[in-house]
Amino acid sequence: MKLGIALSAAALVALALLPFALSPYTHNLMTLSFLFVATALAWNWLGGYAGQISFGHAAMFGTGGFVAARILLAGALPPPLAWIAGGLVAGAYALIWGHPTLRLRGPYFSIATIGVGEATRLVFTYWDKFTGGSSGLSLPMVPGAKRTLYWEALAFLALIAVASWAIRRSRLGLALFAIRGDVEAAADVGISATFYQDLVLFLSGAATGIAGGIYASYFSFIEPNDMLGFDRSISFVLMAVIGGVGTILGPVLGAVVFVLLRQFLIGSYPQLYLGLYGALLIAVILFEPLGLMGLGHRLVRRAAR
Amino acid sequence: MRFVELLVAAVLLAGLYAMMAYGLGLIYGVLRIVNLAHGGMIMAGAYLGLALHDRLGMDPLLSLPLIAVVSWSFGWLLYRFVVRHLPRGATGGAQSLLLLFGVWLVMRNAVYLIFTGNDQAIRTAWSTHAWKLAGVSLPVNRVIVFGLAMLALGGLHFLLTRTYVGKAIRAVAQNPDSCTRAGIDVEKVYALTFGLGSALAGVAGLLGATIFSFNPSFGSVELLKSFVVVVMGGLGSVAGTASAALVLALVEVFAILVLPSYLTGAVGFVLLVLVLVLRPGGLFGQKVLG
Amino acid sequence: MLRVEKLSKRYGGLKAVDEVSLELGREEILGVIGPNGAGKTTLFSMIAGSQKPSSGAVFLEGESIGGLPAHRVVHKGIVRTHQIVRPFANLTVFENALAGATFGRDQTHARAKAQEALELVGLWNRRGDLPGSLTLAGRKKLELARALATTPRVLLLDEVIAGVNPSEALEMAQLIKKIREARKLSILLIEHVMPAVMTLCDRVLVLDAGRAIAAGTPAQVVSDPLVISAYLGSA
Repeated sequence: MKLGIALSAAALVALALLPFALSPYTHNLMTLSFLFVATALAWNWLGGYAGQISFGHAAMFGTGGFVAARILLAGALPPPLAWIAGGLVAGAYALIWGHPTLRLRGPYFSIATIGVGEATRLVFTYWDKFTGGSSGLSLPMVPGAKRTLYWEALAFLALIAVASWAIRRSRLGLALFAIRGDVEAAADVGISATFYQDLVLFLSGAATGIAGGIYASYFSFIEPNDMLGFDRSISFVLMAVIGGVGTILGPVLGAVVFVLLRQFLIGSYPQLYLGLYGALLIAVILFEPLGLMGLGHRLVRRAAR
Repeated sequence: MRFVELLVAAVLLAGLYAMMAYGLGLIYGVLRIVNLAHGGMIMAGAYLGLALHDRLGMDPLLSLPLIAVVSWSFGWLLYRFVVRHLPRGATGGAQSLLLLFGVWLVMRNAVYLIFTGNDQAIRTAWSTHAWKLAGVSLPVNRVIVFGLAMLALGGLHFLLTRTYVGKAIRAVAQNPDSCTRAGIDVEKVYALTFGLGSALAGVAGLLGATIFSFNPSFGSVELLKSFVVVVMGGLGSVAGTASAALVLALVEVFAILVLPSYLTGAVGFVLLVLVLVLRPGGLFGQKVLG
Repeated sequence: MLRVEKLSKRYGGLKAVDEVSLELGREEILGVIGPNGAGKTTLFSMIAGSQKPSSGAVFLEGESIGGLPAHRVVHKGIVRTHQIVRPFANLTVFENALAGATFGRDQTHARAKAQEALELVGLWNRRGDLPGSLTLAGRKKLELARALATTPRVLLLDEVIAGVNPSEALEMAQLIKKIREARKLSILLIEHVMPAVMTLCDRVLVLDAGRAIAAGTPAQVVSDPLVISAYLGSA
């Protein structure tokens, strides 16, 4: 445990010092990884801890991104506050559709989230007064902002990682794990599935929205199909599943692998990456449902023998 | 007159919706698995029809039986070699969901590599003709699609209610354990059902392709619509599926009158969420609330 | 302690439970018996809040709790166990009990309460294991411990003895008695194993086809001609 904290702190310091030695390309990749790792962790609060697989998290990523972008364009708030505002709106939006749909379990909830995600994308694409439609929104470029954003994204990731750990150990985490195990039995020990699922969806949605806001600032250009596309939603699911659903380190590893793989594939085989994700998903489910974490445990056990 | 025309359009569309939905509902009803690859099978049917039409000059009406057999075999193989090994039920649901989702992604990518991502259409001799009946125009291709869909559903109804195989499928849906004891090879029935559901999806995709243009993401909207229909119409009843399909088609077609055009695309999704939320107790005729 | 007044559950025309009334005294064990399909589990589900009654009322120490959702009923002090055990398979034995202690009626000192409940049923030495590794009797005890950890005032036990071997059944019956003494609990108990009912219960209520057909001490009830015919009729 202490070793884990020490290692995490060391990694954090190393990552914080790294930009001084990075090429712009790697710098970009790292910042992107931080945001995706954070989002995968936040997705995992709902998908892994509570066992409610969402195929619609892009809706919150997009909501947070566009709200933050609009606030920044209006010059109303400094960036961190604009991101938080975007996150809060995204969390509230998640609650609006989540409160009724979270009563559904298993595949039914997942299917409802596909509907929510696609409906949100359509509305955002055609609501051009707010989102700029398919031509998107451009944010003013601030010289040197990318370096600051690297640290801000890293700080956000650290916060989400600590939150993941804290939720897992808290009352909320225990309630969510119990709900995943058996909703009715959870009610029989006094757990209100509605309250705790709503709460975690709000937190997960808000964190995803904040990530969307930072993403918008970093790329200084956003457009609905990139922010809210089905591929975006899938990517959050994939990162967590590849790494290991329900764990903390899993989504971290999964997101890193995802970003690297994506970068590699987009560079060399742009037309293959969706199918390879699919193949990866099939392989994980068939051979190691606990993902990289499960594989790691298995290897450690074998080495110990 | 416009009203009658919209009404006719809705009815004709409903036939296709019913067919797409029935394949999904059948697999869920018997195997308790939500086939997320359903959309991929719809898409595959469309592209297979395109290939047979453009390269071999086969009319979709001729390629239909061939596509039914190919889709059936694909579903059968998918079940035998992959789906069979997955856990089912409340906790295992996520796994089959994710796996079949992966299958869909692979299928989409394969089609993209072969046919590119451009919009395609199957144009036949009859695709632009229309009959006039009492002043209402009836597009020939839509009428044919409706007729074939009804024929397929009728045949399926006959299969399920009148034949030994159909009775075995229904018995397995009711209670697999007692079927095993009665000497029915449950695994065989599962594979067969997965094949049947896939065949329905493939043929529905082919029929859809004679009406709409399509690209590799064809099938995703259709999958969601199938869900709306299955959820509203309940499970296993051809009449229930047909009437739910009609409701969906009517809502979609008449939404054009009241909603700005860019929002009509979202109607299906909103309806899906509403139906899931408002009818959670009656979903698939089963209790799905936690 | 617990008063149930004319509780009914109808599914369409079918009456699963038909105007059943009962009263459970302080530290009393009241057995509920009856043939399969008599409505015993439905009665429990309605008292515990997992199913909404069609009509009737439930009072806990004079306070009306009918129609409250299950988790609120637990907070009031009524907790149930299931005939088919439902431990949280993804949590350890200790975490299962901890869930009860954390979200139950009295939520203070949760860890100590979880430990105490596990010690009472004899599962403390298995605290790090997953429920799947326990025997059926062990899982039934875990379900009992999880219920106890919620600091209940009334315990609804649905066939905690049926299905285990005779020596385990004896142990289970003694455990229930011990729990009542140690925790000063009132217990409502569905059971098929008649010897256990005879020795454990202070009074017995007999249900048949959704209606209460007899009530009294175990000895009175088993000699009641109505009860005998209900059982023979169903056999």
